[in-house]
Amino acid sequence: MNLEDIYRLLRSGHVQSQSIIDTVPEPLLVLDKDLCVQTASRSFCTTFNVSRDETIGQHLYDLGNRQWDIPELRRLLDEVVPKSTAVIDYEVEHDFPGIGRRTMLVSAHRLFHPDTTNHSLLLSIVDATERRRGEAEKDVLLGELRHRMKNMLALVQALARQTTAAGRSGEEYRDAFLGRFNALMEGHDAAYTQEGKADLQQVLARTLEPYSEGQAGVHIDLGPPIPLGPKPIMSLSLILHELATNALKYGALSVPSGQVRVHWHVDEASPPSLRLVWQESGGPRVAPPATSGFGTQLIEFAVASELGGRVEQNYASTGLVVEIVLPLASVS
Amino acid sequence: MRTVLIVEDEFLIAIDLKLLLERFGWSVFGPAATIVEALKLLDVELPAVALLDVTLKDGAVTPVAEALRARNVPFVVASAYDRPELVGGDVLIGAPNVGKPTEQRRLLATLEQLVSC
Repeated sequence: MNLEDIYRLLRSGHVQSQSIIDTVPEPLLVLDKDLCVQTASRSFCTTFNVSRDETIGQHLYDLGNRQWDIPELRRLLDEVVPKSTAVIDYEVEHDFPGIGRRTMLVSAHRLFHPDTTNHSLLLSIVDATERRRGEAEKDVLLGELRHRMKNMLALVQALARQTTAAGRSGEEYRDAFLGRFNALMEGHDAAYTQEGKADLQQVLARTLEPYSEGQAGVHIDLGPPIPLGPKPIMSLSLILHELATNALKYGALSVPSGQVRVHWHVDEASPPSLRLVWQESGGPRVAPPATSGFGTQLIEFAVASELGGRVEQNYASTGLVVEIVLPLASVS
Repeated sequence: MRTVLIVEDEFLIAIDLKLLLERFGWSVFGPAATIVEALKLLDVELPAVALLDVTLKDGAVTPVAEALRARNVPFVVASAYDRPELVGGDVLIGAPNVGKPTEQRRLLATLEQLVSC
């Protein structure tokens, strides 16, 4: 083997190791013991917009207008690295001229060398800005989800706490609570899983379906299509459930011959309003309740505060008539 | 008479808090679902204490909290947020948060404590 062969061999070995370094997607630097750059990878040069010539031989902190002279990085290299063989994913946040504020994960490894005690360092720099931003967005989303979940639990708590327990058996309490709970859940399903698709007629049919069997029961007269927004769907589901359970306990649905007619129309006044009528007949004589319980307050409050409308309950001799008048704009 | 202003825009929770506090002898102002409503109620009569949700239909409860602070009415926050001040501003710092869902004993004890001092 002559000198030229040896040179060629060495050269191809060098070229290969350089091309390995240049193929690694993460920016890499090899530093000597004084933190001067021995090798810079192609990815380092393109990521930080520098040429290899102006990089090699320079002190790390002198590179590119001292953009790497960062206190956090200095601490890593001066204090942490000398005491350990490797530091992985040390986070450095910094404003880099040209590429802006970035979060870099810096890893430092002492260069592996079988023969000598080598003090060179292999520094890899991973741009984690996008990943960190994604993680931060995910945190915000999770926080929002947690907040909504706690709100939903508070709604369930309200139903559990306000459903009457006094004078009832455990079973009766459970059934009354679960009835409201189901109305809440079904309202939530209709409001949020098929957003934008629910219409007043669908909400009525779905909520009143258990009471609509046979000749007696609840009959829905079709009115004009009224698309409903999520919150009004939730409120109306709860309101209708209260009306139906009351009818079942005290009103028209408490006897086999009793009937409820539900109908609605739009008053084309300015502003237009929706008039929803719940009309009971064929039941026992009804009288206004002595005290207004949670159910009554729920209806009144939902209509007034949530939907901006008003409700009239008329205890007629023929049966209870409830008229709910809502501004059309507030239900969509 | 122990009076409390409830500011809460979720109607089920608002009725729950109202009925709960009335059951324990409180006289309830509101519930107000909006900043505008709450401020209107404060112009009529000042409560001994207020119970505030953080996000209302017309924005964060901050102006209500500021109005209460200006009139020396103590307030309690009932929020699902761990740090309500991040949403409602610095005026909420130091106000007790009874949480949401709201545990009955904690709510009653906190209100009692605020009106007795």
